[in-house]
Formats: sequence, C-alpha cells, structure tokens
Amino acid sequence: MAGASKEGFSGIVNLTPHKIALCHLIQYFAPAAHSSLPIPFKSVSQHNRLGLFLFSLTRACNDFVEPSLDELITQFKAVGVGGFEYDWFVDWLIEDLTSRLSALSSPDDLYNFFEKLRGILSPAEVTNMEDEQCFLDPSSHLGVFIRCCILAFSILTFEGVCHLLSNMAAYCNSTDPMYGLPEEDAFNTDPVLQESHEYHELNRASDKYIHDFEAGSSAGESSSFHIQAGRPLYGVPDKLFLRSKWQIQGYLNEQADLLERHAGSFRFNTFEATLKHLQKMAPDMHHVKYLRYLNNLYNDDYLSALDNLHCYFDYSAGMEGIFTGSSAPPVSGIQVGRYESALLCLGIMHTRFGHSKQALEALTEAVRISQQNNDDSCLTYTLAAMCDLLSKIGICSTSGIIGSQYSLGLGTPLSTQQQLLVLLKRSLKRAESLKLTCLVAFNRLALAGFYLKHVNRPLLSFGPKASIKLRTNPTHVCKELRLSSYLLSEFGSDGLSLPNDGGTFSTAWLKNLEKLINSPTSFNGKRTNDYDTFHFTSQPNPIPGSVLQLAGASYLLRATSWELYGSAPLVRSNALIYATCFADSASSSELSLAYCKLIQHLAVFKGYKEAFIALKLAEEKFSSVSKSHIHLLKFQLLHERALHRGQLKLAQQVCDELGILASSITGVDLELKTEASIRLARTLLAANQFSQAAAVACSLFCECYKFNLHVENATILLLLAEIHKKSGNAVLGLSYALASLSFCRTFNLDLLEASTTLTIAELWLSLGRSHAKRASNLVHQTLPMILGHGGLELRARANIAFVKCHLCDPSFSVSDDAEMVLDPLRQAAEDLETLEFHEMAAEAFYLAAVVYDALGRAEEREAAAASFKNHIVALENPGSGSEDEQRNL
Amino acid sequence: MGSKESYRNELRSAIRQLGDRCLYSASKWAGELLVGIDQDQPRSSAIAGKATPSSSARPHHQQEHLHRDGSSFRRSRSRPGGIASTPSPVEDEIDDGADYYLLAKSYFDCKEYRRAAHVLRTQTSKKSIFLRCYALYLAGEKRKEEEMIELEGPLGRSEVCNGELTHLERELSALRRSGAIDAFCLYLYGIVLRDKGCESLACSVLVESVNSYPWNWSAWSELQGLCTTLDILRSLNLKNHWMKDFFLANAYQELKMYNEALAKYEYLLGIFRFSDYIQAQIATAKYSLRDFDEAEIIFEELLRIDPYRVDSMDIYSNLLYAKESFSSLSCLAHRVFLTDKYRPESCCIIANYYSLKGLHEKSVVYFRRALKLNRKYLSAWTLMGHEYVEMKNTPAAIDAYRRAVDINPRDYRAWYGLGQTYEMMNMPFYALYYFRRSAFLQPTDARLWIAMGQCYESVPLQMLEEAIKCYARAANCNDREGIALHQLAKLHSILGRSEQAAFYYKKDLERMEAEDRQGPNMIEACFFLPGTAKPRRGLKRQRCTAHGSWIILARFLLIFYMVYTLSYLQEKETAKSLLRGLKMAQSGFPSVEFEHFGP
Repeated sequence: MAGASKEGFSGIVNLTPHKIALCHLIQYFAPAAHSSLPIPFKSVSQHNRLGLFLFSLTRACNDFVEPSLDELITQFKAVGVGGFEYDWFVDWLIEDLTSRLSALSSPDDLYNFFEKLRGILSPAEVTNMEDEQCFLDPSSHLGVFIRCCILAFSILTFEGVCHLLSNMAAYCNSTDPMYGLPEEDAFNTDPVLQESHEYHELNRASDKYIHDFEAGSSAGESSSFHIQAGRPLYGVPDKLFLRSKWQIQGYLNEQADLLERHAGSFRFNTFEATLKHLQKMAPDMHHVKYLRYLNNLYNDDYLSALDNLHCYFDYSAGMEGIFTGSSAPPVSGIQVGRYESALLCLGIMHTRFGHSKQALEALTEAVRISQQNNDDSCLTYTLAAMCDLLSKIGICSTSGIIGSQYSLGLGTPLSTQQQLLVLLKRSLKRAESLKLTCLVAFNRLALAGFYLKHVNRPLLSFGPKASIKLRTNPTHVCKELRLSSYLLSEFGSDGLSLPNDGGTFSTAWLKNLEKLINSPTSFNGKRTNDYDTFHFTSQPNPIPGSVLQLAGASYLLRATSWELYGSAPLVRSNALIYATCFADSASSSELSLAYCKLIQHLAVFKGYKEAFIALKLAEEKFSSVSKSHIHLLKFQLLHERALHRGQLKLAQQVCDELGILASSITGVDLELKTEASIRLARTLLAANQFSQAAAVACSLFCECYKFNLHVENATILLLLAEIHKKSGNAVLGLSYALASLSFCRTFNLDLLEASTTLTIAELWLSLGRSHAKRASNLVHQTLPMILGHGGLELRARANIAFVKCHLCDPSFSVSDDAEMVLDPLRQAAEDLETLEFHEMAAEAFYLAAVVYDALGRAEEREAAAASFKNHIVALENPGSGSEDEQRNL
Repeated sequence: MGSKESYRNELRSAIRQLGDRCLYSASKWAGELLVGIDQDQPRSSAIAGKATPSSSARPHHQQEHLHRDGSSFRRSRSRPGGIASTPSPVEDEIDDGADYYLLAKSYFDCKEYRRAAHVLRTQTSKKSIFLRCYALYLAGEKRKEEEMIELEGPLGRSEVCNGELTHLERELSALRRSGAIDAFCLYLYGIVLRDKGCESLACSVLVESVNSYPWNWSAWSELQGLCTTLDILRSLNLKNHWMKDFFLANAYQELKMYNEALAKYEYLLGIFRFSDYIQAQIATAKYSLRDFDEAEIIFEELLRIDPYRVDSMDIYSNLLYAKESFSSLSCLAHRVFLTDKYRPESCCIIANYYSLKGLHEKSVVYFRRALKLNRKYLSAWTLMGHEYVEMKNTPAAIDAYRRAVDINPRDYRAWYGLGQTYEMMNMPFYALYYFRRSAFLQPTDARLWIAMGQCYESVPLQMLEEAIKCYARAANCNDREGIALHQLAKLHSILGRSEQAAFYYKKDLERMEAEDRQGPNMIEACFFLPGTAKPRRGLKRQRCTAHGSWIILARFLLIFYMVYTLSYLQEKETAKSLLRGLKMAQSGFPSVEFEHFGP
C-alpha cells in the first residue's frame, strides 16, 4: 500500500468538493479522539463496509471525473443498507453530511474544517487502542489521503480557497431538485440556435459522456453525469471535477486495454467525444492523445491515427512509458526524449494497416535509434514487433529493407524465414536478460509458431555437413509452449510481484456496486447474504489481465498446433480450456477464434446441423465485435455444405464473398487468400472443370511457395492430386500425391498424411485390379489414424476405399465374409448422410447394392438402390434448399 | 466608389460612433485610415491627424480594443450597406438614460466593467443594451484571464471559458429573434458564438453585422479569423463596400495568397495613399514573398513616419534577421523596448536579436516572455522551436513546434521545423511525415521538397526513386539554391541513367552560369558532361560537332582556371588529364573525338 500511496498522491491533490465530502465521510469512519458523540454504527460489518467503500472511492479509476454528490449518496446508500431494509442510520448520516457540506459557506469554515481534520489522525507514538476508539493510521491509505488533502489545503492560495468555495456551492446545489432557472428552458427552445447544427453539438455535450461498450460484463460500464447550470456569483458553468492524475491515468489505461481487446465494439464517436472532453479539461495529459490514436487505429482511420500518434509523441517525447519495463531512469539535466518508442508505435500501426514496407522502415529506424540511445527494452520490443510483422505479412525478399546488422556478416543474404528466426532468438535473449517477462512469453509463443510451420535449417550452408533431417520438430514447439506458460508461475512467485494493481480492484468493486444499484432485482436477491454485497462479487485478481491473455494465447496456439498435427480431441480440449478459463481476459478476436475451432470440430464430427446451431449462438455472442473469425467460419461451413450437397452456384457465391474479406494488399491476409483460392479450386473441381481447377491450384502453389507457406502447400498438392484423380489422370495424380506426402512428413502433418495416403491408395485402385493389394496395404496403414482422429468425411472415405480394395481383391469373396464389407459400408453411408454428402453417399449405397446383389439379398439390394437413387436425384437437383442460405449471405 | 470626401465623412462619423460604444480598437483603425486618405482637399483635422500619427493597428488580438478611451457622443445607427451612405449625426436623445449611459461609459473607461453593466441594467435603448452586454463580456474575459492563472493544476490549465457567455448568448439570440438587434450587438453576438464554438453561426451573424454596419473593423477581423479556408471565404454573402476590400486583402494575406492580397492593397493605396496600415500590410506580404529589399524600404519609411510603432515590427525584425543586419535589428529592439517592453512583439524582436547574435538561451527567455503575454502567438512558438534546435534541446524544440501547429495546423514552417528536428535526430523516416505535411500546405516551396528528398536519399532509407521525384518537384518550384538540379543529376548518375544525369548537369551548369556562380558543383558537372559525350554523340552526331564542342572546350578552360586559382586540389589531376586530351583534340578539330578522355 505504501507504494500505491506514493504513486497515487505524489503530486499534490487538487482539492475538489468530492474530496472534501470524502474527508467528511472519513471523519465518520474514524472520528477524532475528542469527538463529542460517537457515530452509532449498527454493526462492525457496516463500519467495515464504509471503510472499504471509502478505500475504493479514493482509488477507483472507473471514470475521469468525480461523481456528483447525488451519485455519491446513491452509492453510499447501497453500501450502507447492504441489502437490508430501511436504515434510519444511513439516512441520518446522509442528512448530516449534506448539511455539513452546505454549512461550509465562508473561507473561514474551510479553514476550521481542515483544522479539525487533523484531529482524526492518530499521533504516531500513541497506540493505546482502549475504548474501541478507531484511530486512523497516518500511513494507511486513507491516512495518506487525509494528509494529502490537508497539505493541499494549506498550500492553497486565497484565490484557490475562493474557487473551492464556489465549487462547493455548485456541488451541493446539484442535488437540489428545485435548483434550475426558468430561463434555462427559454434558452433550450431557442429556435435560431436549434436550427444550427452546432447547437446540437453543444447539447450533445451534456450527454456525450455516456459511452458504453457492449463487450461483455467487464466492459459494461456506463457513466453519466448530471449537469446542472449553477451560477452562484459569477456564472460558474457546468462543473465537473477531474480526479487525481493517477486515477485518470488508471482510467485511460483501462480504456486502452478494453480498446485493444475488444476492437470494433467501441463506439468510435462517443469515445472520441469523451476523449476530446478530457483533453479539454486536462490539456497536459498527453496520454489522452495516445488513446485517441488507439481509438482511430482500431476503427481503421489511418490518417487520424497517424496524426494523433505523431501528436502524442511530439508532446510526450516518449517519456510516459507506455511500454512497461522501459525503465531507464530519467537523466538529470537535459531531457533527452525517447523517440524510438514513437517509431516502434508507428511500425506497429503500419503493420496493422498492412503497410509492410513502411512498417519495416519504421521498425528498422526504431532499431537504429534504440541502439543509438542505448534503449535496450525498446530495442527488444522492436525486434518482437519486427518478428510479428515478418510472420504476419508475407514478404518475399528482405533485401534492402532490414539493415545489414542482421545479415550474417558473410555476405550471404538471409531468406525471410532465416531472418525471422534470427530476430526471434535475439529478441528472446534480450527479453530474458532484461527480465521482460511478458515479452519472453510472447517471444516463446512466436518461436513455437515458427517451429510449427518452418523447418529449422542450419543458417550456414558450408562447412562439415552433418546429416540434416529436414523435418519440423514438434518437441521444439511443445517446449516453447510449455516455457511460455511459466509466465504465470513467475507472477505467482514473489520475484515478480505486481508493481501496483492500479486500483483495478477498487474499480471493479465500485462497478459492481453500480450494477447492484441499477438492477434492484439482484439487489433483493442478495438480501440473504450480507457477505456477498460486502464483496460485490469482486475478487482481487493477483494476475493482471495482460498476463492472463498471454497465458491463454499459449492454449490457443496449442489448439492450432494440434490442428496441424492432426489430433482432433486435443484441439477440442485446448480450445475448451481457453474458452472456459481465459474468456475474461481474452480479446474478443481470440475468443472468437477458440469458438471457431470448437464449431469446426462440431461440423467435422457431428455434421452441419449442430455446427450451424452453435454458430448462431457464437454470432449472437460476438454480434458487436468485428467478427472476422466468425464471419470466415460461416463462409467455410456454408461452402463445405454447399459442395457436399452439390449446390455449386451457392458454393461459387460463397467463394466470391470469401475472397472479398481479404485485404487487397499483396502479402496481407495470406491465409485468407489461400483459403479462398483453395475453395475456388475445389468448387471448380466439383463442377468437373478440371483444367481450370488445376490452373487455380497451380498458381496458388506458386504464390504459397513464394511466401514460404509450405504447410499450405501440402494441402494444395493434395488438392492437385484429387483433381487429377477425378479427371482420370491417376499417374499424374500419384506424383502430386507423393509430393504432398513428403511435405506432410516434413511438417509432421499426421492427419493430412493419412488423408494423402488414402488418396494414393485410391489412385492405385483406379489404375486397375493389379494394384489392389498395394492399395489395400496403404488403406490399412491409414486406418488407425483416420478412425482415431478423422472426421466423418475422412472416415467414410477410408471405409469406402477399404471396401473397394476388398472388392477388387480376387482372393476375397463376398459370400465368405459379407460383413467384412457391409459393416464399413453401413458406417460410411451413415456418416455421409449426416454430412449430406450426396455424391459419396450415393457411391456407398451403390457399393452396398452391388454387394447385396452378389449375396442375393434382393430386398436389401432394392433398399440400397432406392437410397442411391435418392442421393443421385438430390445431387442433380441441388437448388431446393438454398433459399435460407441465400438469405444468410 | 464615392469621392474621397465621402470616405472621410463616413469614417469621421464611424469613429465617433465606435468610440461612443467603446469599440476603441475599431475606432483607432478607422482614425488611422481617415488620416491616410489622399490630401486633395486638405482639412485641418486631417492635417492635425497627420502631424501626430497614432500607430496604425491591425488588431492582432481581440482584447486589444478593450483598453482605450473614447469620446462620449451618441450617434444613431447607420443605414446598412450604404456605399455612399454617410451616416448623418443624430443628436442625443434627451432622456434619463443618456445620463446613465454617460456614467456607465465612464465606469467602462475606468475598466470597471461590472459596475458599468450594473448601471445600465434597466436601460432599454439599443446603445445601452450593447454597452451593458459588452461590459459584461469584458468582465467575463477579465475574470477568465485571472482564472486561467489561478486554476493551473497539475494537469495543465484547463480551458476556462468566459462565464458570461451563456447568459449573453441567451439575451442576444432573443434580441436577434425579435429583430431588435443592431449591428454592434450582432458583432458581440458573433464573438460570443465564436467563443462558444458555434463557428458557422458566428460567421453568418458577423456577416449580418458587417453588412449592416461596415465600418467596424473589429467585426471584419473577427470574421477574417473565422475564414480558415478559401472555401469559407468564398461562401460569405457580403455586400459591396470599400471596407470589404480591406477585409478581402487581409483574408488573402492570412490565407497565404500574397499576390492577390498585394493587388488589393495596391488598389486601396490609390485612395488611402498615406495609410500606414496598408503600407505595413504590403511590406508584410512582400516579406512573405521573400522580396526583402522592397519590404525593408517600406518598413523603414513606416518607422520614420511613426517612430513609436510596434505593430508589424516583429515582421520587420524577422526580415532584418533574415538579412543578418545586426545593427539595424539592435536599433529596432532598442526602440520598441523604449516604446512598450511588455508587448509580445517587442519581446519577439529582442529575442530575434539575441538569436542573431547566437545567444540562444537569452533568446528563449524573451520568446517565453512573449508567449506569456500571448499564448497564441504563433510565430513566437515556431521561432522558439528554432532556438531550442540551436541549443540541441530537441524535446523542447519539438514541443514548441507542436504547440505552434496546434494553434494553427496550416503553419507549414512549424511542420517543417518538426521535420528538421527529427531529421537532426537521425530519424529520416519519421521526419518524412512532417515534411509531407508541410509540403502539402505549401507545395510551391522548393525547400520543403528538397528536405523531403534529402530524407529519402539519406543513408538509412536510400529510397532514391522517391528522392528523385521530390527533387524534380523542387526543381519545378524555382529552387533558388540550386540544390535540386545538382542532386537530380547526381542521383540519376548513381542509378546509371547517364542520359538524364547529363541533362540535369547541363541544366545546373546553365543555371550557375546564368547566376555567375562557381563551386565544386560546377566542377562535378563539368567532369561528368564530357564522360557522357560518347553515348550522346552516338545518338545525335551533329550535337557534338562544332558548336557543342566549343562549349565544352570553354568549360574545360573554366575548370582549368578554377583548379589553378581556387585550388580544388583533388580535381587537379583529373583536370590535367582532361586538358591533355583537349590539346590533342585541338589538332583534330572540328571533328573532335571525345572518347579518349573520360573523367
């Protein structure tokens, strides 16, 4: 607490009526030693509640202006009553408080009040705690607050006292319902003014502070102020009082956090208006400009973001330290300025807007200036930002972009990937040595992501050649992921205790209180349990949100990595862990990603019906968020289903929509673009336009090769093999499939490998009966993987291939062991019907009919044939069910 | 336009009316104009006025008109928009109100504004209403100024607003609605609206005011302050009156349309031949057009006529600074110091002097003082930024420039200063943003494009193509120092485009020859040109025959001359070899073979 108070009140508090009201309340809480009458608290818990309330009020950062007397009284009532019925004591206290406040009518009253206030601080030596007297420890939080107020008053000039007095009058009058001038109405109905647009802006000023977010409970804050015109003597306009600097900073930090996490759900204009207002009230609070920058950034307003960014750093010279850990002590004498952080921010901004070249220029300059100014932490952050950029945006060549300091010094130009690895490792090393824990975790995650998708090749290609295994190494990924989670435990150990919780607990406590006031039903519901209202459901969280977010990100990355390696249950469990344990601190986009993974899992294993139900729920949950993930998922599901049902027009339409989602800048949104192209090729394949499909796939392969997207290449090669398989060119298909297989092995894509193997088996089968044995072996190889982890479609395909192998095998006779083929066929047909995959379902039923025919079971044969016919008809008349999907689009 | 006499009559009655309403600044301006009218019909008052010239005023600051005394005549409101309508003096109505008005005016003149307003609380004549409202407004302004100092908290001084605004707005809008508002109250209403942030409404109210009473210069200058873009200016619906020309000229000047402004002023000078105000404005425009010599002559003349003048003298000091006239600047500083040392302009002039002397710390002290006197003194912020740059205190410099930019986002000098500071800190990429902003505002200034080009060309960025584009822009914008052409040639030769490089080297040489300049650039150009002679000759043979080679020959001789007289030693050897080649070539003249002597 000592640290908090040091930070909180280091600047002299500017005395406001609200603070004086607090001083009064503290007097009730801890009356002076020689006070005439004791305050009759009903119970100890009531007394404690008041203490907690006061503690929270002096620390909370839920707003930048102080509450009006009205609000204070409402809150106080809620705390005092605490769920119980009418309490005469609380009413008496409020009445006493207002009368005491309005009794302060001359400067001398104020002097006397502060003189008396000294009495409640216990002398440090005397610690006799007899007769239940509650002394205020001068070094406690409230004690420091009182001392600061007294100090602030004693250094106040007479003018200051006069201002305080007139402010007091305005503050007290704000509760008086009778106050308000009749002319006020005349003014409001002024037709000339109302015509003008500006007048509305003026009027909006009164309610423009009402900004609310719809991003979940933690963000659900709304604050409104009652503005009353009070002109006691010289026409004091609407009075709002700023909180202390530290509280405003806390407020801004909180808002910045919300902005970053729930980008897009902020109402741009209202928040901008709030910020402008704050800037007017506190022009030297440069942090506001940073918030304006963030607001612009997350609302994709490039020009304003750029302007505000430059403005912020021009004023603050980068000395406000947005990057925690940049802890260079201020050099005495001339202020140097740390403009490298400005460059870092500029780079990050350009990265977000997808301007890779500018971003690299800015970050390179940031590296240079950090080195020049010996700003190690900024350098580390810059390197991390650079890695982020390189991994996010496809850049084919780094030549001339990053300074020579990152070449190996041997003149060999590095590929982008090698460069990325070098940067990542350097950044990690620096972060470790500087003890930037969060950055270490971030870098480890980035490294894990890198190892996941890139073969770790030696940087130097000369010297004694060790045998190089060109494969990714999942253990590396695992290791980095595990290490990144150490972040949490480090925060648990005392080595890295929190610098300051920044009043978050108090803020949350007050917010919950407000909720309680606003919804009387929960108020009544909590009646029975005094303890609940005391806590207002808020627990101080020992781990800050940003740390939790990082820790959560590791689970999300785990899910992604298992997705690639091909373990469906692990994907699901990790996504579930993320969605349940880290939802509070997660950003909306990450959370929606986790939901997407879960829904995808549903679609693959349970069919579309369930997936769409879940999707609807997710859409509702993220309705206000920029829902790129959810949006994308919807298109994916729609496309998949359309392909299965044979609705090719719809599929084509979805494909086009998907392509629009991606940014038009080359190198940006690569994954999305790849996805769109793959889907286009698949649509063409389904329409039997083989040469076009092959052309799309080929050009996509080239593109991916250029940007080093090798994991995607495995999929594309498999797709090419499928195209050739379907077009009847099995030999050519085999070569593509084998290439895909080697890619799969290199990157340990086990499930995809199984799928490729299956395709190879199918290709062999299509080459003729003589290859049935070989095909059968291959299918048997894949079965454990596919039956363990594969989705409905893959399993059905494997089953059918299995049956086909047996049917082709001359040594196999149906009549001997009919169940050997019938059981897989039944299974496949069931799965495919769930998926509404007409084409393959028809194939399964056809095979079944053939088998039944051979067995002479005519009735069952007819049933299978009828099903076959149904599916074929459905495939040929796909248009019927597409209206609702059309509407969905 | 009416006759000069009618101008005089208009102005005379306007001065009385304005003074009677305590609009002293406007009254002063009109008075100066009155004595500035050509003396075809000399009048005693005009001559008397000329003998004791008061300082002409361009009301920089809106509060300026608060602090002067005036007469106590009462005039009727003039008819609106009358071009030749000379407002005829109307005798004071004899009523009780007039006496109260006299008392209120005396209070006002003693700066007891609230008392003045209080005396007039029951009066209903338009004049009384105006004075009461005006007094209240000024009382509010005074209180605001005081509060600004009182309320300076740890988060900076919050924007205090005039507490009377709401009340005044209510009253004046009611008056306007009922139609019982005169031009002066409209002017006040306009100011109130502007202070409240309703700028477009303020604009239309002020237009109404100047249309019905055009002689109130304060209203015009308030209106000018609201015309931040040419579009707003053009959209104003103003009646024709000769005062409109003054307004337009001033507005053009503030919008950096100096040539248009000059044209207007030259025209007005035909009528108001002796107006100091016009002269000062012309000098300012000429200074802005970098026509230093003419501007200096005008300023000197102004000072001779009006030795106690402070207005516009900061511009004069800037001019002297640019011309590095130490002694003149010191004299000017001394003079204004004796006249009124607590004027922002005076402080700025002194600061300029110290800056010229290289005493930057002292200079900053005086700039700070100027800014204390007027926080919105734009050029002082920018100039102080320059001083901080000299002192290598970059954060302070950036802060100062940034404040200038925030006061007026169209101030390209401050943007340029910001860019330069960041460039100095070795952050060319970051600086580009600022240069871009400044070049956007002043696209015809070659210096800005050159600065941008230099950033692109700098070692860390090495974006030569972009640099070439910038230099090309600069070369098209009348680049005085000739940096652009040389850089263009150099960059093209670096990129291996000898054709273009030769073109620009040649252009650069021609320029240097035209300006009779010499220097290392010239040698570089001369060395380059013969080297490219071969490919060029291959393309167009006749170019390299007789005439062309004579030029080149002449250049060689020039190099020879320069090398041996100016001792550019490193070039000596190259020159020698060239000369040897030249001798050989002379024998084979006129079909010179230049391929023997590459540089």
